[in-house]
Amino acid sequence: MKKIFKYILALLFLGGMGWSCTEDFLEVYPTEFLSAEQLEAASANNPDLLAGSLNGIYTLMFEAGTGGTDGHDDFGQKGYDIYGDMLCGDMALSVSTYGWYRTITQFQATTDFTFQDNYQIWRYYYRIVRSANLVIDASGGNDVVPELEENKHILGQAKALRAYAYFYLAQYFQEAYDPSEAILPIYTNPTDPNQPKSTAGEVYTLIEKDLTDAIGLLETFSRTQKNQVNKSVAQAFLAYTYAVTGEYGKAKDLTADIINNGGYTLMSAEEVLGGFTDINTPGWMWGHDVVLDNGLDLISWWGQMDVYTYSYAWAGDYKAIDADLFAAIPANDVRKKQFLNNPNSGRYLQPINKFYDLDRVIGGQRNIETDYVYMRVAEMYLLHAETAAKSGDEGSAKTVLKRLLDERMDDTSFVDGLSGQALLNEIYFQTRIELWGEGKSYLAMKRNKAVTKRGPNHYSNVGESISYDDDRMTFEIPQLEIQNNPFID
Amino acid sequence: MRTKFNGILTLLLAFMVQMTFAQERTISGTVSDETGPLPGVSVLIDGTTRGTETNFDGQYTISANVGEVLRFSFLGMTTVTRTVGTDAVINVTLANDANTLDEVVIVGYGSSTKKSFTGSVKTVNSEILEMKAVSNIAQALTGEVAGVTVINTSGQPGTVPTIRVRGFGSVNGNRDPLYVIDGIPFSGALNTINPQDIESTTVLKDATATAIYGARGANGVILINTKRGRSGTSTIEVDVKSGVNMSLLERHSRIKSPEEYMEIGWNGLYNQGVVTGATDPVEYANNNLFGGRGIDPKYNMWNVDGADLINPDTGLINSGVSRKYDPENWEDYGFQNSFRSELNLNLSGGTEKSNYFASIGYLDDQGAIINSNFDRISARLNVNSEVKPWLDAIFNMGYARTETNNNGQSNDSGSIFWFTDNIPPIFPLFERDENGDFIPEPIFGGNTYDYGVGRSFGALTNSIADAHYDRSRTDRNSIDGKVALNINFTEHFSFENSFGGQYYSSIYNNLNNPFYGSAAGTTGSIWKRHEEFTTYTLLNLLRYKNDWGNHSFEALAAHEATNWLRKRSDVFKTKIVDPNLDDLTNFIVVSSPPQGYTDEWSLESYFGQVNYDLSDKYFLSASLRTDGSSRFVNDKWGTFYSVGASWIVTEENFAKDSGFLNYLKVKGSYGTVGEQAGVGFYPGYYLYETTLLGDGYSTTEQVIGNADLTWETSTMFQTGVDFTLWNFLDGAIDYYIKDTDDLLFDRRVGPSVGYALVTVNDGALRNSGLEFDLNFKIINKQDYKFNFTVNGAFLTNELTKMPIDPATGEEKLIDIAGTFGRSKGHSLYDFYIREWAGVDPADGAAMWYQYYNDENGNGVLDSGEGIPSMAEFEDENPDTEVSKTTTKTYANATQKYVNKSAIPTVSGGFRLNAQIKKFDFSAQFIYSYGGYGFDGNYQDLMDNDQIGNNNWHTDMRNRWQQPGDITNIPRLDNGTSTNYVSASTRFLTKTDYLAFNNFRVGFTLGERDLPNSGIDNVNIWVSGDNLFLMSERDGFNPTQRESGASERYAYAPLTNFSLGLRVKF
Repeated sequence: MKKIFKYILALLFLGGMGWSCTEDFLEVYPTEFLSAEQLEAASANNPDLLAGSLNGIYTLMFEAGTGGTDGHDDFGQKGYDIYGDMLCGDMALSVSTYGWYRTITQFQATTDFTFQDNYQIWRYYYRIVRSANLVIDASGGNDVVPELEENKHILGQAKALRAYAYFYLAQYFQEAYDPSEAILPIYTNPTDPNQPKSTAGEVYTLIEKDLTDAIGLLETFSRTQKNQVNKSVAQAFLAYTYAVTGEYGKAKDLTADIINNGGYTLMSAEEVLGGFTDINTPGWMWGHDVVLDNGLDLISWWGQMDVYTYSYAWAGDYKAIDADLFAAIPANDVRKKQFLNNPNSGRYLQPINKFYDLDRVIGGQRNIETDYVYMRVAEMYLLHAETAAKSGDEGSAKTVLKRLLDERMDDTSFVDGLSGQALLNEIYFQTRIELWGEGKSYLAMKRNKAVTKRGPNHYSNVGESISYDDDRMTFEIPQLEIQNNPFID
Repeated sequence: MRTKFNGILTLLLAFMVQMTFAQERTISGTVSDETGPLPGVSVLIDGTTRGTETNFDGQYTISANVGEVLRFSFLGMTTVTRTVGTDAVINVTLANDANTLDEVVIVGYGSSTKKSFTGSVKTVNSEILEMKAVSNIAQALTGEVAGVTVINTSGQPGTVPTIRVRGFGSVNGNRDPLYVIDGIPFSGALNTINPQDIESTTVLKDATATAIYGARGANGVILINTKRGRSGTSTIEVDVKSGVNMSLLERHSRIKSPEEYMEIGWNGLYNQGVVTGATDPVEYANNNLFGGRGIDPKYNMWNVDGADLINPDTGLINSGVSRKYDPENWEDYGFQNSFRSELNLNLSGGTEKSNYFASIGYLDDQGAIINSNFDRISARLNVNSEVKPWLDAIFNMGYARTETNNNGQSNDSGSIFWFTDNIPPIFPLFERDENGDFIPEPIFGGNTYDYGVGRSFGALTNSIADAHYDRSRTDRNSIDGKVALNINFTEHFSFENSFGGQYYSSIYNNLNNPFYGSAAGTTGSIWKRHEEFTTYTLLNLLRYKNDWGNHSFEALAAHEATNWLRKRSDVFKTKIVDPNLDDLTNFIVVSSPPQGYTDEWSLESYFGQVNYDLSDKYFLSASLRTDGSSRFVNDKWGTFYSVGASWIVTEENFAKDSGFLNYLKVKGSYGTVGEQAGVGFYPGYYLYETTLLGDGYSTTEQVIGNADLTWETSTMFQTGVDFTLWNFLDGAIDYYIKDTDDLLFDRRVGPSVGYALVTVNDGALRNSGLEFDLNFKIINKQDYKFNFTVNGAFLTNELTKMPIDPATGEEKLIDIAGTFGRSKGHSLYDFYIREWAGVDPADGAAMWYQYYNDENGNGVLDSGEGIPSMAEFEDENPDTEVSKTTTKTYANATQKYVNKSAIPTVSGGFRLNAQIKKFDFSAQFIYSYGGYGFDGNYQDLMDNDQIGNNNWHTDMRNRWQQPGDITNIPRLDNGTSTNYVSASTRFLTKTDYLAFNNFRVGFTLGERDLPNSGIDNVNIWVSGDNLFLMSERDGFNPTQRESGASERYAYAPLTNFSLGLRVKF
């Protein structure tokens, strides 16, 4: 009997092996970040998920750390807007306690490829490129024209976003537009390994083609959120591109179409003093509705810019308008009120009436709920004026410029008397003050081939004339790319 | 797989039943020690591997021939031999002794003796482990085993150190050894096992020893065996330790005087004026000392303005300047002398059929910084029972409740160490009013802390105040256990089944107070993390064991399955009601979405082993193991094997009578082991994070997956000798070569592809080394003993093949990971950085070396001739002679191998043991020689910061100040010149050290000293841990990181002095 027991017992345990020996014992699946296969399976009964990867690109635009670092200046597009504003000098680092942006404003990063800032900006835009390539690839590839309207809209947005990334890369990494200069590697498929540099001509051709495709594909697109690229936004990027490549007539027409048919109204005098927190402001063409679920905190644009947020702008890294630029704003211009005009305050010239949390508690907003603006229709008025003037249509330039200025000051008749370079100078000046702190001044400086000079409230290089194509004005291809891409050194 | 395996099993079974042999005559008896019968004693017939073990009553039965010699051995006891004569009963008493050759060692899935085991194994028993005041077993291994490096990463009580066995087994895969407790792989928190419950710890190093653990054996295996009871006795043991913890190891030397700090800073501002072309640099410095480029005027602690603070002629504080207040020394408030108390009670004993060990322990270990501690209540019960003559049952279970408070230790501005090491001495801990007076704090009492609005170091935070007002605490309840049933089919053939694992549930609360600091704006906040962890291992094992003639044979075949699962959930809420409560309902705003997820992996294995012994002279061992891992998608299974052999030379007639050579064993092994951890849980898949955007889904790519990823395989060859000379020196010397192929390698790519790295199986790595372990018994008398043990390891590490770069289809030339360059022919830890060239005496600027290819031969560097990175240049231009010059532009300097490595030439430990009558004395030291590390803390303190951004090292006194100054420390210019402290050879520091790790002086009274007291034994001792560290620079502690580097937030190991008392009834 005894013997039988022990064999039975042993068999029972051996049977227990079946417990672990089942086929799927070694099959485990992630639950935090999901695999492509899991998402695909889930999508079968939940088609909304399909739009997820396109939305993901929009998420990268505002998430912290998308530049591959844990820096407090690493928070997507708005972070690189500050880089541009600091480089061109319209934004001064008037008090620098913690050191953020000090390497930018002192031009240390832009002359030294070992600085992380170079990596961050490069990594961010190429991440957008890859994400766009993944969506394009999933939609059938670069040359396909989807049949379903819905898929056209997805492909259109992805192409526009790829163009957006290459456009900024070309701005930030080429000193002056020269189609024959090799500037950047191009990737149009997610499986491409590291590539050598292509010429600026090839880069701009890709940008133009993507945007032209996008405009066609988005013809019937009526967006549900303002973070999405619609036809107007794609047109705007194409206009910006033509304005760089010198095809001013095309830029003029595109901007005219947006102004006349886009359905956006200029921000009013009241709105420019209190309308920079809300996505629903009709003058905004493109932006992001920041909600608590986005998890934005100190590491955000508001955490750098707004005195009324728990921010560096509050605690000791003050971003102010260049004192000379401020002095040039006429007293009757409503935009002069956007800045703290009290020379005795340490916060002199901080934009406390342009970008502020409406609660107005110093250092108050802790979890960010104020929105991000990426593009306004005012840009289109100014770009139209600029490209019209450059293409010889000064009449249209002045009319459109005045439509904007009428919202900012009582008497705009001085515009009528301008022509030639004086008119261009005025348009450039208006661009700088209308769009101060919105990341557009750097682009305008390059388009207008400007020579900058910094006012007395700057941290460094005060009074020095620095040309737009100075080596210090563009970023360096980062050390990590050079070390790891066998085709670039 | 299953069907096939069952087939093999049936065959094996049939084979084994056939192999039962005729019996010889039967000997039986009882083995005991001074306290009574001794179970588990190995009884072996000399010259064979026939043997048995004593049962719970210390009784044994064995078949032997007349004239054969029985050898009785037990861990920690002297071995006794008896020749079989006419008596059928042989009773033996064993005496205590350590370091005997025939001691039983626990090895993978069984036991062996030190003599017969063919691999490399080192056992550290409880006497050594108990000398140290440690909270976990891994800490106690420091310096004890050759080739085992213990890296104590933090002084926070309870921290489990990182352990490395034989070098660096992988590039990016796991390098941690496998822990096994009582036969069950352990992956819980090691600090939940009370070291006092541990009988012995065995480290397995070579392939023969570890291949049986196939999947997880590549980085060594640490076997931990808990205590068991003995039949026929019952003992009570009480053990009390009480002591103090303090931070005694040196920290970096910093500027302590606010005045001196301002003088240095003023000099920086003055130079900034000069460099940036200010018309009057003195005026520039005066005006900016307090202001936008300097310090916020509210921190002017003197009675004069910035313009009047410094005398421009001397650069020193003007006479007549006086302070409004004295800023606090933050160390005085952040650090504390604290207590450590430990109380352990255990009961053990047994009856004829069963034995038990039960213990309960309490530990309160306080940290050297305020509000940090580790508290543990632990209990263990081990029961062994012979339920039926054919059935043994084992039941082990441990429980621990731990509480860890680790305030002030985050890797950011919440770190008290960062503050105390780096804050400029002008900043006070407490806020001051206009007159420099304290401001009473209305809520918590005391003075109001300065949270640093405008403070250019650690603004808006005060880590010391946070550590007082906030909470960072982990409470954990954990259980580890095992149930095993062994069925003995016949005398030789048994079936062993065990099920065991660990479980814990832990809650981490990070509570920020509503009044001050980062959560004041949201009226308090909480982050609560709940973790639930389960791992189990199921083992089914068939064992056959038999002896005949001079032959001894053992074989086993087994199946094992392991599953590891951890569930996590995180909740973030703000707006607290009662500031003392950390329960979620007490917060009313959900500030960001709650998160939760599961991580899981499984391993399934089939394995077998045979051991054969001829005449107790020749030993052979072979094992085979197949493992499947859930981590891999397409290629889950890997097969590993090993063979080992050893030869006891001194058993041969020709060697027996040699006067000096008492013992010599020669051994060799060869085998393969695998590794699959360290690559995350799901490295085979591309992974995407899904969040909310608008009201829809948003998916972003997070991980670039590689479905073809599979096992990293190490092939290990080892040869070695174990010897005893003149009965004076016991030693072991091993040499090994370990080649790891298909390395789990995070290959960097140019980030323009849209991601930064991808994990691949590629490249090959060689670790080779020599290890020695020597024990000199200088005096060995009954009442007087003195011995010296020393161990050490020489290690070389070399990449023998680099991964393929898909962009070129060729091996990647170099992969730069921080300050290290990884390329063929170099170790993982060869520094590849820019070379520091000192300071230009003319202007005080920093210089680095720039190499160039002087193509036109004009002897100077022309445009385009500079070499940015030497490895690529040498590859493209072999045999080209290069020239060298200095540059003041860091980016232009050449990155190159600088012939320095973080891997030391030799490292190890040594110990002195002495006994004089009832006193015993022991001192242990650890050492390392020949490596270099990056002194990151020093780097922080030598930066050209804007005044107020950081404190300076006292070396800054020797900086360049005027033309002609010869110094290695460049001028300060308030941050205008950059890169002074960027990675270069400037901060490479020798990692040579000698540390006094532990000492103990004890006094023992035995039964004879305490007649009729009922007390068996009393032991009183004083011990000390982490007493001093001699290194290249005060404050530079190379023992805390694998690469020998020092880091910004490091918590230095605590120094402990304890008084202990143990009473045994």
